Amino acid sequence: MPVLELKVNGNDCQVLVEHTTSLLEVLREKLMILSPKMGCNTGDCGACSVILDGMLVHSCITPAMVASGKEVITLEGISASGELHPLQKAFQDNHATQCGFCTPGMIMAAKALLDENPKPTEPQIKKALSGNLCRCTGYKKIVESVMAASADNPASGS
Amino acid sequence: MTNSDFFAARDIHEACTRLSQSGKEAHILAGGTDLMVAINRRRLFPHKLIYIGQSGMDAIEVKDGHLVIGAAATHTAVIQSKAVKDHAGLLVDACCSIGSKAIRNIGTIGGNICNASPAADAATALLALGAEVKLVSAHGERAIALKDFFTGPGETVLQPDELLKEIILPLTKGDSRWGWLKVGQRKADVIGIATAAVSLRLEHGTCRDVRIALGAVAPTPLFAAKASAMLEGRTADESLISEVAQAAADETSPIDDARGSAWYRKQICGVLVKRILTAATK
Repeated sequence: MPVLELKVNGNDCQVLVEHTTSLLEVLREKLMILSPKMGCNTGDCGACSVILDGMLVHSCITPAMVASGKEVITLEGISASGELHPLQKAFQDNHATQCGFCTPGMIMAAKALLDENPKPTEPQIKKALSGNLCRCTGYKKIVESVMAASADNPASGS
Repeated sequence: MTNSDFFAARDIHEACTRLSQSGKEAHILAGGTDLMVAINRRRLFPHKLIYIGQSGMDAIEVKDGHLVIGAAATHTAVIQSKAVKDHAGLLVDACCSIGSKAIRNIGTIGGNICNASPAADAATALLALGAEVKLVSAHGERAIALKDFFTGPGETVLQPDELLKEIILPLTKGDSRWGWLKVGQRKADVIGIATAAVSLRLEHGTCRDVRIALGAVAPTPLFAAKASAMLEGRTADESLISEVAQAAADETSPIDDARGSAWYRKQICGVLVKRILTAATK
């Protein structure tokens, strides 16, 4: 059984995995990091979204061994200091969390966008979140939250 | 990595050697965005995985008068590449319509080809760009036209000991025109109901190097040879474009499935080709 070594939210981890184990299974079942959710398990819903070496990925269809030697950031990792991340604060202020199942994935997808483009337009936000499904269909407040979080960003870009 | 069921190849030679030793037991893993879906759905249980994501097979470069794209280049890398933008804008448009950002970040162009889905967006665009593919094994390598690569849904000419190394494209010359259109159940993150990719060159109003390809309307991504030939060397006008679009639709052999009916797919193919040709030949 392969040994997977990776960094998760700043912590070095060593885990025994099957070669076909997904990164999501490692996070949820081995490391008890529960913000990434298993929705579809086929890369369609985005509830499992995490950032792998700076890139947004669906952890359910990312083989865990592919993360070998890399760094994973989950929702838990963006508020490690105990302070809410601006996106979390914006989601709270704008009531963008309904049942909450899609929220961690939405915030990670939004974070990946803002890391790349601190001042996105509304169409750019919608496009960036198009891989994340909300079962409550509350996209409007989610998009507004990302707009609100980006408004606080230092301007660089359009 | 020495573990036998997961092997991370450091270069292409290691990947070929391990593949020739493992044969049918092994699957090549790049981004995993198709393979993991099959595994998670219990459709596939590969005994061994040979990972090529860190084997240096992801270079994108202009080499010897061609654009060469390593099979392990991600869709995001293809989209961001200046060389691809300069010489294969059609491929950028097609890759932008694949899955979601999270899929494009890890899924590879080689995977899109080797998975051999009839609806593969990059593969369909590459057919219209006249791509060749280079296949390698421990015993040597061969280059074939991409249109001869696919043999059926999920099936290709790849031998058990072979893997796709790179995609080779001609460089653009002259007044190059292209178009990509995809019809899906929503705008983003979908498998196409039908897609159309066209590439051509205008020479004093005459259409040259015409290549029309269609996705999700045949057992494989389809190069519409008859329709392409019909426009070659001719000046496009409204009636000729209609004839070519009809010929392209006639070349398809779609099926009914959850995404759309065979009848609708055939209809929409003609519409897509007509729209692209009308815009591209102006």
